[in-house]
Amino acid sequence: MLENLTEMLKGVLEGCVLEIISRNETYGYEITRRLNALGFTDVVEGTVYTILIRLEKNKLVQITKKPSDMGPPRKFFAINDEGREELRKFWEKWEFLSSKINELKETRP
Amino acid sequence: MNFWERITGSDMTKEMKSFESRAKKLPPDYQAAWEQINAYLWPHSDFTGRNLMPILDGVLGLLEETAADGQSVQEVLGDDIQGFCSALAGEEGAKSIRDKWREQLNQNIAKKLGK
Repeated sequence: MLENLTEMLKGVLEGCVLEIISRNETYGYEITRRLNALGFTDVVEGTVYTILIRLEKNKLVQITKKPSDMGPPRKFFAINDEGREELRKFWEKWEFLSSKINELKETRP
Repeated sequence: MNFWERITGSDMTKEMKSFESRAKKLPPDYQAAWEQINAYLWPHSDFTGRNLMPILDGVLGLLEETAADGQSVQEVLGDDIQGFCSALAGEEGAKSIRDKWREQLNQNIAKKLGK
């Protein structure tokens, strides 16, 4: 990953995690691997964990505990209606932000 | 939590003991991280520390899950344990004693200024 991307990524990571959850019910480890595969290699499970807690607190996801082959039961996350609404807003904001920043870049003298 | 537990904090002592015995089952590098997390989180405690119990329980769960996956603690938490802890405490809205002092200070100054 590009150096020092973490700070910039912080603001949008929550939306990214919500997007991943919206496609399929999933759990922390899988989400982290997904982000790593996308190229965000610095993202660790601890980071995803704190985001999942925030999503849970804001009631944007639904949680089910399922037993796993080894270790304690795993928490699975699925999106709910409020989460879908939040995700829609996230992409709207992202569209705005990225179009404006590109605009700025393209008008370079 | 009954009255006796509320006053003596014996419910927390029990909970801390169960955390400790769970932590003891973790691999050594995880145990070290657990100790660090504890050290970073306690300044965020309220007067009794009761606000930290669910946070600690969650973190321990994360450590147990990832240890069972066979990941190293470095892979799980990265190198910024402090950042991880403040994110945790912040998300849970845990107000620390320091925040209370700050509030008090601001109020006192506002009063002195006659506002």
